Amino acid sequence: MEQLFFYIFALVAIVSAVLVVSVRNAVHSAFYLIICLLQVAAIFILLRSPFLAAVQVFIYVGAVMVLFLFAVMVLDIGREKTKDYIHSQWLPAVGVIIALLLVLGYLVKGGKLSAELGIYNEAVLAKNTEVIGKALFTQYIFPFEVVSLLLLVALVGAIVLVMKDKTRPRKNNGVGS
Amino acid sequence: MSDKKGIDILDLIKKVLFTDFVKGLKVTLGYNISKSITHRYPDDEKWIPYRRFRGVHTLNRDENGRELCVACELCVKACPTSCITVVPMEDDTGRGIADRVAKVWRVNLVRCLFCGYCEDACPTRAVRLGREYELACSDFRCTVRNREDLLMPQPVPESIEGGIVAKAKFERPLSGIKVTADLKVTKKRAW
Amino acid sequence: MMIPDISTILEVVLIAVKVVVVTMILFGLPLPLTWLERKVAGHIQVRLGPWRVGPHGLLQPFADMIKLLMKEDIVPDRADKFLFTIAPLLAMVPAFAVFVAIPFGENIVIPVINKEVSLYISDMNVGILYILAISGLGVYGIILGGWASNSKYSLIGGLRSSAQMISYEISISFAVIGVVMLSNSLSLVDIVRSQGGSLLQWNFFYLPVGPVWCAIFIIGSLAEINRIPFDLPEDEGTLGAGFHTEYSGMKFALFMLAEYVAMVSVSVLTVILFFGGWNSPVPLPIPIPPIFWFVAKVAFFIYFFMWVRFTLPRYRYDQLMTIGWKILIPVSLVTILITGFMRI
Repeated sequence: MEQLFFYIFALVAIVSAVLVVSVRNAVHSAFYLIICLLQVAAIFILLRSPFLAAVQVFIYVGAVMVLFLFAVMVLDIGREKTKDYIHSQWLPAVGVIIALLLVLGYLVKGGKLSAELGIYNEAVLAKNTEVIGKALFTQYIFPFEVVSLLLLVALVGAIVLVMKDKTRPRKNNGVGS
Repeated sequence: MSDKKGIDILDLIKKVLFTDFVKGLKVTLGYNISKSITHRYPDDEKWIPYRRFRGVHTLNRDENGRELCVACELCVKACPTSCITVVPMEDDTGRGIADRVAKVWRVNLVRCLFCGYCEDACPTRAVRLGREYELACSDFRCTVRNREDLLMPQPVPESIEGGIVAKAKFERPLSGIKVTADLKVTKKRAW
Repeated sequence: MMIPDISTILEVVLIAVKVVVVTMILFGLPLPLTWLERKVAGHIQVRLGPWRVGPHGLLQPFADMIKLLMKEDIVPDRADKFLFTIAPLLAMVPAFAVFVAIPFGENIVIPVINKEVSLYISDMNVGILYILAISGLGVYGIILGGWASNSKYSLIGGLRSSAQMISYEISISFAVIGVVMLSNSLSLVDIVRSQGGSLLQWNFFYLPVGPVWCAIFIIGSLAEINRIPFDLPEDEGTLGAGFHTEYSGMKFALFMLAEYVAMVSVSVLTVILFFGGWNSPVPLPIPIPPIFWFVAKVAFFIYFFMWVRFTLPRYRYDQLMTIGWKILIPVSLVTILITGFMRI
C-alpha cells in the first residue's frame, strides 16, 4: 500500500519536474513546481517526517513559490514564448543527465544511500517534532547558529541595499521643472 | 495625528488599547440591535403620506355631489409643462356648480412634475394633488388620467391626517400589481 | 492479497464517515453565513437585509445558489483556460483541507456499540503547523486566477494578494509560536487540553502577552482571508472586483465558498488557540456538552468578523504594508521574547 502511494507521488513529482523545465509559460512552470514540491512533501510523510512535510509546504510552497509567482507574473511572458528553447547545449546536457543517473543508480544499488534508523525507531519518530528540535538545539547547534547568522546578514544586507537608494540625494531625476 | 515631534504617550496608549476601534464597534453594535427603519413595502406595510403630499391629481365635488370644476382653464395656463388639457362645454343639468363644466380634463403624468401650480391657480378648489404615489405601470395608457378617473373617491380619505404606516396587502393579479392599504391597522413610523 | 481484520476496516469506514460529515457541514455552512452576513450588514445600516424570499429572507441563499448555478460560465477570450478553470478549485481545496486537523471536542463514546469516537479526523502531532501551511496554499487560487483572467484588475488583485499573504503569514506564525511555547505541543488537541479548567487558563488571559498574540492573530487572519478592512485583492473601489472580476457562475461561487469556509476556519482556530476550545469558561454544576461551548464561541467570532467588516473602512495598500511589517512583526517578535523569559 505504502509502496503504491510512493510510486504515485514519485511519478507525479517526476512528471511535474520535467514539465517545469519544458513548458514555455513561466507561470505554468511555477505551477508545476508547486505540484512537484507538494509531492515531495507527501513523500516526506511516507518517510515518517510529518514535521519536515509541513515545513516543506509552509516554506517552499506557501512562501517561496508565492514570491516566485509574484516575480514571474510581472514578467513579459509573450516574448519568452517565441524563443527557441532547445539550443546548442542540449548534447552536453543530455550527457550530464545520463552520467548523473548512472552514478545515482550505482549508489542506490550498492545500498550507499540508505541508512539504518538507529536510535530513531518508529516509537521515537512518532514524536517527530521533539526529535528534530532536540537534535537541532544540541547536536547541530553550531550549524544552526551559523545559518541563523547568515540569514541575519542577508536580511541586513537587503535592508542596506534598499536604504542606500533612498538616502542618496536625488539630483537629476528629471522631475523638477 | 499631531505634528508634534516625539511620541504622544496618550495617543500611543489609545492605539495599543484599540480605543477608536472599540468605539466604532460600539456604534455599529448599537445600530445592529436598534430597530430597522425600513418599511416592509409592498409586502406588509405602506406609507400613508401627509395631506400636504403632492401625488396624482384629484377633481373634487361639493357637498351636493356637483363637480367643482368650471373649466376655466386657469390650470392649463399655470401648468409649467403644459401637461393638462381642458375642453369646456355647456351643461345646465346640474352636473357642475356652474353651467360650464369640463368635457375633457386630462393630465399627462409623464410630463407632470407635481409642482401644484394647478392647485394654486384653481378658483374653485376643484383640482387638488392627492396622495396616490404608485405610478409605475407597464403601459403608456395608464400615464394619462382622465376626468372620470380623477373624480373617483380617493382610497385615502381626507379625514386621515397621514404620516403613518398602514398594514398593506400585496396582490399580483394578471391585470397588474396592486398594494391595498388597510387604514384601520396603522402605526407611527419607526424614526 | 492480505485481508485486513475487522477493526481496521471499521477504522477506515469511521474516518471516511467523518470526512464526509465534515465536508457536508462545510459545504452547507456558507448558505446560512451569506444570509447572516447580509442580515448583519442590513441591521448595522438600519435596514432589514434579505426579506422577500422565505420568512425573514431565510431562503435567500438558495435563491442565490440557483442564480449562480444558472448563470453563464464565461471564460474570457485569451484567458489561460487551464489555470482559469483550476484556480477556484485551488482556492477551495485548502480551505476544506484545513479541517482535517481541527478537533471539535474530546472523545465521545457511542452508547449502543460502546465504541469510542474521536471528534477529529486526524490528531497529527504537527497539527498547527499543518494548518498554517495548508491555509497558506489558498492564496494560489487567487494569484493564479487573477493572472489567468488576462485582465489588469484581476492581475493587480492577485499581485496584492500574494504580497499581503507573505507579509501577514509571518506575524501569524509568530503569534502561534507563543501559544505553542505555552502548551509545549503542536497538536491542537493538546493545546486545547492545556487550557482546561477555568477562564483564566485560556491563552488569551496569559497576561501580558496573551491578548497581544490574539490581536496579532486576528488582524493577520483578517488579512489572510481577504476580509475588510484588508480586502485589497478584491477592492471594489479601485479594482472592479479584484481577482474575481472575470469569474461568473459556479466558478465565482467556489471562490465565495472558499472565502466563507476560510472565515469559519479562522474563527475555529481563534477559539482553539486563545479561547479554550470546547472548555467551558466557568465550572458549571449542570453538564453542558463541550461541543455547545465550541459552537457558541465559533459563532461569536464569525459574528465578530462580520461586525468588524461593517465597522471599519478599507485600508490603503501602503497602510496595509506598514501595519504588517512595521507593527505586527516587531511586536510579535517582542512577545515571543517575553514569553521565553516568562517560561524560564
